[in-house]
Amino acid sequence: MIKITGLEKYYRTEEVETIALNKLTIDVKEGEFVAVMGPSGCGKSTLLNILGLLDDPDGGSFVFNGIEVAGFNERKRADLRKKNIGFVFQSFNLIDELTVFENVELPLIYNNVKATDRKKRVEEVLDNLKIMHRRNHYPQQLSGGQQQRVAVARAVVNNPKLILADEPTGNLDSSNGNEVMQLLTELNEKGTTIVMVTHSEHDARYSHRIIRMLDGHAVTENILI
Amino acid sequence: MFKNNFKIAFRNLKRNKLYSFINISGLAMGIAAFLLILEYVSFEKSVNGFHKNISSIYRLLNENTKGQTWPQVEPGWAQKAKESFAEIKDYCRFEEGVGQGIVQRSDKKDATFREVNMGYAEGNFFQFFSFNVLKGNAAEFKKPNVVFLSEAGAKKYFANENPVGKSLVLFNQFGKATYSVEGVFSIPANSDIRYDLVFSLETLKNPANLNDNGWARLDNLSSQYINTYFLLSDGADYKKTEQKLISLRNELKKDKDGIVFRLQPFANVHLPASFSDNYQTTGNLKYVYILGIIALLILAIAWFNYINLSTANSLKRASEVGVRKVVGATQQSLVFQFLGESLLVNCIGFVMALVLVQLIQPLFNDIIGKELSLRSLINNPVWIMGLGLLLLGSLVSGAYTAFSLSNFKPVETLKGKLNKSAKGATLRKSLVVFQFSISIALLLATALIYRQLNYMQNQNLGVNTEQLVIIRGPEVGRDSTYSQRRTAFWNDITQQSFIKDYSLSGTIPGNGYNFATSGFTQPGSKKGDELKSYSFAIIDSRYLNTYQIPLKAGRNFTEAETGVEWNDNSKVMLNEKAIEELGFASAEDALRTKIQWDERQLEVIGVVKNYHHTSLQRAIDPIIFYPQNNSAYFSLRLSTNKLQNSIAKLETIYKRYFTDNPFEYYFADENFNRQYITEQQYSRLFTTASIWAIIIACLGLFGLATYTVETRTKEIGVRKVLGASVFTITQLLSKDFLKLVCIAIVIASPIAWYVRT
Repeated sequence: MIKITGLEKYYRTEEVETIALNKLTIDVKEGEFVAVMGPSGCGKSTLLNILGLLDDPDGGSFVFNGIEVAGFNERKRADLRKKNIGFVFQSFNLIDELTVFENVELPLIYNNVKATDRKKRVEEVLDNLKIMHRRNHYPQQLSGGQQQRVAVARAVVNNPKLILADEPTGNLDSSNGNEVMQLLTELNEKGTTIVMVTHSEHDARYSHRIIRMLDGHAVTENILI
Repeated sequence: MFKNNFKIAFRNLKRNKLYSFINISGLAMGIAAFLLILEYVSFEKSVNGFHKNISSIYRLLNENTKGQTWPQVEPGWAQKAKESFAEIKDYCRFEEGVGQGIVQRSDKKDATFREVNMGYAEGNFFQFFSFNVLKGNAAEFKKPNVVFLSEAGAKKYFANENPVGKSLVLFNQFGKATYSVEGVFSIPANSDIRYDLVFSLETLKNPANLNDNGWARLDNLSSQYINTYFLLSDGADYKKTEQKLISLRNELKKDKDGIVFRLQPFANVHLPASFSDNYQTTGNLKYVYILGIIALLILAIAWFNYINLSTANSLKRASEVGVRKVVGATQQSLVFQFLGESLLVNCIGFVMALVLVQLIQPLFNDIIGKELSLRSLINNPVWIMGLGLLLLGSLVSGAYTAFSLSNFKPVETLKGKLNKSAKGATLRKSLVVFQFSISIALLLATALIYRQLNYMQNQNLGVNTEQLVIIRGPEVGRDSTYSQRRTAFWNDITQQSFIKDYSLSGTIPGNGYNFATSGFTQPGSKKGDELKSYSFAIIDSRYLNTYQIPLKAGRNFTEAETGVEWNDNSKVMLNEKAIEELGFASAEDALRTKIQWDERQLEVIGVVKNYHHTSLQRAIDPIIFYPQNNSAYFSLRLSTNKLQNSIAKLETIYKRYFTDNPFEYYFADENFNRQYITEQQYSRLFTTASIWAIIIACLGLFGLATYTVETRTKEIGVRKVLGASVFTITQLLSKDFLKLVCIAIVIASPIAWYVRT
């Protein structure tokens, strides 16, 4: 599903140039659950941004679903992203002014899904994730665990092929964290490919494979299954 | 999508109450000021527009060698022109001034008023112009001794009775005449011609009705007192007709006075088509433009508030932009969202502005001296322009925020990497400087206008108008006993202890002159000097004393001299300016030389020091003082104590000798300052507008300051922990803004100076 070869990314300021990704090569197969680990600044978030089509690589190749996307413009990337990729962030990133229902509904709106279908689909997802009773609440009225459930609901509502999770349990206590990991595992079992960046060995153990990074390289791979 | 965007926009407004308040109230104030001024501009543009034939009607003007124009022409030209030129289909003449007098209901003497808004007009007045005749038949106006009343005029004399068929008696310089009321008409608010009573000019066609005033004959080509309008045939080139009229005048006018005819399109009578058009108008294009520009500036200040506050606030929205992009929003959809928000805020501002306009309309009308309302906008294309401008402004002000917000990179916004301090700071600072430069420039300009007005009102005019009460001379009962009664009245008056000075005259300072004429020369005159125009003031022997106008040389008129018949008189006084115009080396020189007025020789017995007979804005005119016992104005200087008692006493005496004449009085100084009424109105309007602008700009600055404090909370905390006092923190926060305001003052001062000069 994902094939990156010799991927490069630099960050430049006036004085220094930092290499974030240094000729990185990784494959992720469809249905896989991959955890990316490494110390701060090793390039794992940069990798996730590029995988999520939020950022451009400076060199190398990125084939997504058989299509080379490295040179895509903003509009094409947005289109590909909204149809195929769901995101889960450490800080949830829900929109404060929208209710739970409206937050989850947002990706469907941008995918031009009809209102009646949207309602059905959002309710289905909220029901599955057991937060239906909170549908009319605003994010600030929910606990961290509940907020992350909403974020997961928003990520999956569109039935994406790929979910990218950036330290999804980083802001949660262990029991809420475990619940979220459980949710991701279930999604993966139903066929969704997941790439997760994490610092937690415990969370990483939920995955099939751990890629360890250092200074923009993939240094080792642990295959768990 | 739309619903979702609307929801977000609305909830954002609700959540950020302070920003929303500042944004919306600033916009509402800006739009309200804009709408009010738009009302005024569209009113000014609409004046006279209701006349159906406006595009084919032209006003005849005189233009002298100095390029000054005026609409009073000799009455004989209209008929001569119509006979000579085929393209002149019709003409209509009316006068404003010479017919003024006292009007009385023939069956009710207590309905007696001195009329100013009245005049004689041509029989076709109601066909030529498009006033709506509500009662009676317009054709009746072609007859002599007929009067038509405006609704206000009808109400004044006949209250709720039907005036048609009743009659009014008019006392004026043409004697006493009875007029039958044959019609009532309405005057639109946007009409320049505003008669309460219009008498048929046909009456004056009979020389017997002129009371020996031969100068007023309707076929004469020598006395300029009537307005003449021509209706030209379709497709006629009025410039060609103008040339023909000039030739006609040159051919028929015996005394060469250097005047040429001009035709002014009726559509340009109120406001000229451009600034290069120097013909006399009834409105002032300059003020319309200045106010229009002020309206746009105030609106710009309000929009800058919007841009400033929304870009400042956009950091709060950054993560929302990030999330939306991540879940699939394109830049286009985000631009639409933020533009929509800007439109929403502008729409709420607009609705609030409508409410605000309703609230402050009476105050505005009071300042501008007109009856305007939002309704006056509807009938004029100006409002479409205005609405278009509002829409465009909301889009442009929204567009900046929309594009800058939608450009945010989700990677940065979601990780909070956005540079908080630098984003848009330069723009915000420049806009604040711009806003305050405008506001301060307006304020400075207002102060300068105010000072100038103050100067005009308090400047030494060379004449003392204080404590002077003016009574208009009687018109009713000017029979054979009149002259006796007038003498008795004066005798009675002068015995009153509260009278310090008194005078009879044909004009008073502040009320213009009796007339202006040319044809004056002295032996040393050059060719062409006879074309120079001189103003006539008819005065008695006490005028100079009463108005405390000093003599420069020679002597004043004697009482005997003021009693000499007009045509037998050979003595005049001149002011210094007239001496200069005539080309005399000195006042003494003038006293030794006789001057020529066409065929008449006149002796200059005195030279009067220059004084301002009219507004200070006007250069001092050359004046010829002519001795007569003209009783148009009685000027009385009263002692200061018990003024009301003195006036009551005056009324009793006046009524004793001049029964049936209304007793009306006013103070000469107030009357003089009435010339500045337009300047006073505009000065008040500018003051209000600049205060308005400052309030809006301060609202925005307050919003920005709040924003700054919010973003610097952490810094303030750290400083406090390290021992900073509240004072030093206040100083720290105000410093940046004070700097901006200081820059604005530096920019604004020369602008204000330039605008003023």
